[in-house]
Amino acid sequence: MAKQKPTFEEALTELEEIVEAIEEGDVPLEKSIEKYADGIKLIKQCRTILDQAEKKIQLLSKGADGHLAAEGNLPEDAQED
Amino acid sequence: MARSDPPLFDPAKARGPRRKPDVGVAQTDAKTDRGAMSVSSLITRVKAALAQSFPKTVTVLGEISNCTLASSGHLYFSLKDANATIPCAMWRPQASRLKFTPENGLEVIVTGRVDVYEAQGKLQLYVNSLTPKGAGALELAFRQLKEKLQAKGLFEPGRKKPLPRFPRAIGVVTSPTGAAIRDIGRTLRRRWPGARVYLAPVAVQGDGSAEQVAAAIADLDAAAARLEIDTLIIGRGGGSLEDLWAFNEEAVARAIANARTPIISGVGHEVDVTIADMVADVRAATPTAAAELAVPDRAEIAARVGDLSARLTGGVNRLVDDGAEALRGVLRSVVFRDPTWRLRSATQRMDELSIRLPGGLKDRLAAARRRLEPAANHLAALHPARLAERAGALLGRLTGRLAWALGGPAKRQGDRLAAALTRLQAVHPRHQLDLARQRVLSAQRQLEALSYRGTLKRGFSVTRSATGELLRSAGQIQSGDRLETELTDGRIVSVVDGGPIGPQRRRRKRADAPAQGGLFDPPSDTDTQPPA
Repeated sequence: MAKQKPTFEEALTELEEIVEAIEEGDVPLEKSIEKYADGIKLIKQCRTILDQAEKKIQLLSKGADGHLAAEGNLPEDAQED
Repeated sequence: MARSDPPLFDPAKARGPRRKPDVGVAQTDAKTDRGAMSVSSLITRVKAALAQSFPKTVTVLGEISNCTLASSGHLYFSLKDANATIPCAMWRPQASRLKFTPENGLEVIVTGRVDVYEAQGKLQLYVNSLTPKGAGALELAFRQLKEKLQAKGLFEPGRKKPLPRFPRAIGVVTSPTGAAIRDIGRTLRRRWPGARVYLAPVAVQGDGSAEQVAAAIADLDAAAARLEIDTLIIGRGGGSLEDLWAFNEEAVARAIANARTPIISGVGHEVDVTIADMVADVRAATPTAAAELAVPDRAEIAARVGDLSARLTGGVNRLVDDGAEALRGVLRSVVFRDPTWRLRSATQRMDELSIRLPGGLKDRLAAARRRLEPAANHLAALHPARLAERAGALLGRLTGRLAWALGGPAKRQGDRLAAALTRLQAVHPRHQLDLARQRVLSAQRQLEALSYRGTLKRGFSVTRSATGELLRSAGQIQSGDRLETELTDGRIVSVVDGGPIGPQRRRRKRADAPAQGGLFDPPSDTDTQPPA
């Protein structure tokens, strides 16, 4: 898994750990400011993932080589929503 | 079912060499016995008679026994009741469409044609359809597959894989035109739009649908790593038991069990429970519910991130505030509020010591004097004047003896003696004694300089009580006491007016009364308080 792009779960878990460590007060003040900066970055990442544009449903079909490949988007049902 | 034990009516066996009929008739010449017919024609006539007098299809209720599924795919069994038995054959095209597995002892309703099996001359029922008595065929098939898979441990809770909390991509196996994909798509978009959704379109009912569903599950599972699919949803909307049947097929159950990706099954309505539901890692009542279980709710998670954000800022602010408060606390302490406090107390301590020091010095001076006295007496005994007298007498005697003994040589010796006498004068004991006296005197002067009297000259004073006791503490005196203060040039006698007020008393009072909130009050506050 790419280190620079954590999954939402990883980002949220790390954020929770940072918040708890700071709340517990077991981080030295200087270190806590560093961690605060990390936390702000993680919050931004989490919010970006949350705000991501809606994804379409990709129709898959099996190619000649037996691999699944995207065929296109499933037409959205206009009368829904 | 003993497949190795060939059934009595296997047509394959019938094609083998026939036993010779042991009936006498067969051995006779056809020409000599005109009324005799061949076995074949007899059977043919029986068959014709049966066909005429019997309806084309009969429906019979009975219990299955001797059930055998041959490798050819044909099914052979006997149908019996308490008193009678009839062999039955069901050919492969019909037998392969059976949803359930015919078992010995199963009560069934059989529809078919009665005919004679020529090879053995036996009556046989050629079965077109076979349905279990009481429960429907599908119910029975469901129960049988459920028992089979249960025995294989496919429903064990330990097999269930946990779902990821935040799936990146979700694979969906359902019909591209059904209500299920609309429900699933809408729910996923509403709750967690960040996840990609891949649809493997399949027929969810009808012939071959189970195979399509099973293959799609295997395909998506195989492509899971490439497409980052971490959750699969399989399902379809509501329908009859027949409509949902694909999800009760063993092929689908096996595909679900073999998949490494966690699978949520949402088939039909709340009341419908399929085999797929039981094998899946998570069972959802409907396709919509399956989508809800697959992803978290964005609003809920956004609120959580907001909460964490507030806690993060709050936590850091509190840490900074705590640090600032701690700093203020330190600055309020006496060290910073009154930097000379320690210095002053050190000065006081030094003064005390310098007052005590002379006392100790006096004692040591007296002791030194005591040690000096015997040494001085001893020194007197060894007075050089007396030593010189004795040496002079001895010299006189020796000189006389020498003069008498030597004459001439004595003259030279006399000269050396005179020189020796001159040098002896230089080390005369009186001269040495003067030097010693001077050194004692200088030591005494140094001692006097160190004595407290010297301190008194520097402006300090020594105060004693009326009894001559040196005063070191304010606690030693009471109001009305007479004090004698020694200064460098005289003494002052005074009378104490007022109680003792000392630094010890003030310090103790501070420590005893923190509740008064005056812990760090300026000392003037306590000073002005009347004594308790």
